[in-house]
Amino acid sequence: MLMTRLKAGGPAIAKQGILVAFIVFMIAFSLMSDRFLSADNIMSVFRQSAIIGVMAIGATIVVIGGNLDLSVGSMLSFATVLVVDLHDKIGPELAIPVMVLATLCLGAINGFLIGILRLNSLIVTLGMLSAIQGLVLIYSGGQNVDIVDQRGTWFAIFGRGAVFGIATPIIIFGTLALIFHIIMTTMPFGRRVHAVGGNPTASVFSGIPRSRVVFMTYLISALCVAIAAIILGSRVMGSQNNVGQGYELQVLAAVILGGTSLLGGSGSILRTVLGVLMLAFIQNGLILMGQPYYTQWLVTWVVIIVAVWLDVAAKRGRLFSPIA
Amino acid sequence: MTKTMKLLLASCGTFALVGAAAADTVRIGITQNNVGIDSYQTTYEQAFIAAAEANPDVEVIVLDAGGDVARQISQMQDLIQQRVDAIIIWPTDGQALVPAVRNAHREGIPVVVTNSNIAEAGMEFIAAFSGPNNIQQGIYSAEMMCDALGGEGQIVQITGMPGYTTAIERQRGFDERLAELCPGVTQLDIQPGDWNRERAQRTMETLLTRFDQIDGVYSGDDNMGVGALNAALAAGRAEGMVFIGATNFAVGYDAMGRGEYWGSVYQSPVDDARAALQTALDVLAGEDVPKLNYFDTPKITQENMHEFDRPVF
Repeated sequence: MLMTRLKAGGPAIAKQGILVAFIVFMIAFSLMSDRFLSADNIMSVFRQSAIIGVMAIGATIVVIGGNLDLSVGSMLSFATVLVVDLHDKIGPELAIPVMVLATLCLGAINGFLIGILRLNSLIVTLGMLSAIQGLVLIYSGGQNVDIVDQRGTWFAIFGRGAVFGIATPIIIFGTLALIFHIIMTTMPFGRRVHAVGGNPTASVFSGIPRSRVVFMTYLISALCVAIAAIILGSRVMGSQNNVGQGYELQVLAAVILGGTSLLGGSGSILRTVLGVLMLAFIQNGLILMGQPYYTQWLVTWVVIIVAVWLDVAAKRGRLFSPIA
Repeated sequence: MTKTMKLLLASCGTFALVGAAAADTVRIGITQNNVGIDSYQTTYEQAFIAAAEANPDVEVIVLDAGGDVARQISQMQDLIQQRVDAIIIWPTDGQALVPAVRNAHREGIPVVVTNSNIAEAGMEFIAAFSGPNNIQQGIYSAEMMCDALGGEGQIVQITGMPGYTTAIERQRGFDERLAELCPGVTQLDIQPGDWNRERAQRTMETLLTRFDQIDGVYSGDDNMGVGALNAALAAGRAEGMVFIGATNFAVGYDAMGRGEYWGSVYQSPVDDARAALQTALDVLAGEDVPKLNYFDTPKITQENMHEFDRPVF
């Protein structure tokens, strides 16, 4: 039935499989829990999704460029431990730029290995995932780090503050999503990333500096991780050494859910935002309904697979592949 | 391996023991789970080495499996090859390490398991277990919760990583004791926080949306407990809410000092390390050591916290 609706909707709606899935899902949840669509809850989910969301913006650009970034999880641990630890040592006004620079260096290493040396991104970033986790443990000696003066520091604004009644993490997430959406859809850099991801060989013949473009995508990904770390550090006011463990999969799940092709060349930041929100609403909705945790794991991944299927189905106009 | 060879090796083991006793120093090998992954394990290692250095009759070989089961199995083999007098192991996996522990046992090397116990199937091969009693910790937390609420109220529970023995045992101790001691306290929901403060904070935010009245929160450790506290503070609902944790962390200790956190269970990695070494020494001295050696993990509350040092992690 859904299929006929998709078909009837024509090409415009056919491209929005994820949006359809999202709306269906929201309606289903709101029927099952009366608190689900309350303003408080929606704001709370938006705020919760900001950390994964900011990271997913960078990851989307990397994936459109035809690569993967699995190192973002431990990079988040690295950046959060660094900014929280330095906060009490040199103050937040210095801790933030030092951390951002250090995280950009890690992004540059990724970018160099994958963009310039042309190594396989899956292998490089999987290796970096472990290597950076090791770096975190060497740096901290295994100790958790905490900000002592949690009430007094202005650093609290990023994770706990609000501007005009809207939580800062939401504002940061929204602004970044908008900026990078504009860059990716209207600016030369965005077109170059699409070209490099869609057809690397053709892009080189078209005079696009492929190495530099790929390098830049990893730098952007690292920048997004650094910003996510500021939100996380400020929200929690402390950090474990493995705080970002597993986040790389949530980020990737959101990107996939947003319909960005893992083969590169196509994808959209705004749809990734939708993917991020959908994952956050699923987790939130299931707790609101009082479901035990194992259903959350199960349902989350079933929804991802169904959504990807719906997306593909909408694009080709039928549920099953025409080729047997 | 033939029976004769096994017998030969076993007798070699006995000789090694006798030799060591004659020299008056004992060699103890330890293979740890994953040093550096958290403050507890890091502090444990430091305390273990310090305790061994303080005792002139002990020589220790300190190894770390880095969380890798295969590496820990080969470390066990190495220690057996080196003919240490005793092996202390912090299992990376209680089930997978059973054969390695059985090998050491067959070679006549006593094995002391530290912190997290080996699976039931391995119990017959170990000399002793030394570590915290997580079920008892859950019981303590239930008693504190009951106490703090005066026997009436609605609470939520945030557990550790699903599937982890520590998480399961603490929850079991808490659930059973609470039901028996405090039938007037109902548990609204139990959700995992994965030992992660941010995750616990997110979970608590959602629980606050779902329930208008939450009187208490029990968390599987203070790290998550402080995450839940953060969520309640941000929602302006922390006033009068009782927060009980386990494994007192520095952040929990500080929150207790501010009067925001009610109580926890004090578990010192230093005590844990010392108890493991002492258990191994007792075994080697031929003392009658019970199979399960729990070191004391007392309740810590706002009232008695001055008797404890601020945790180093």
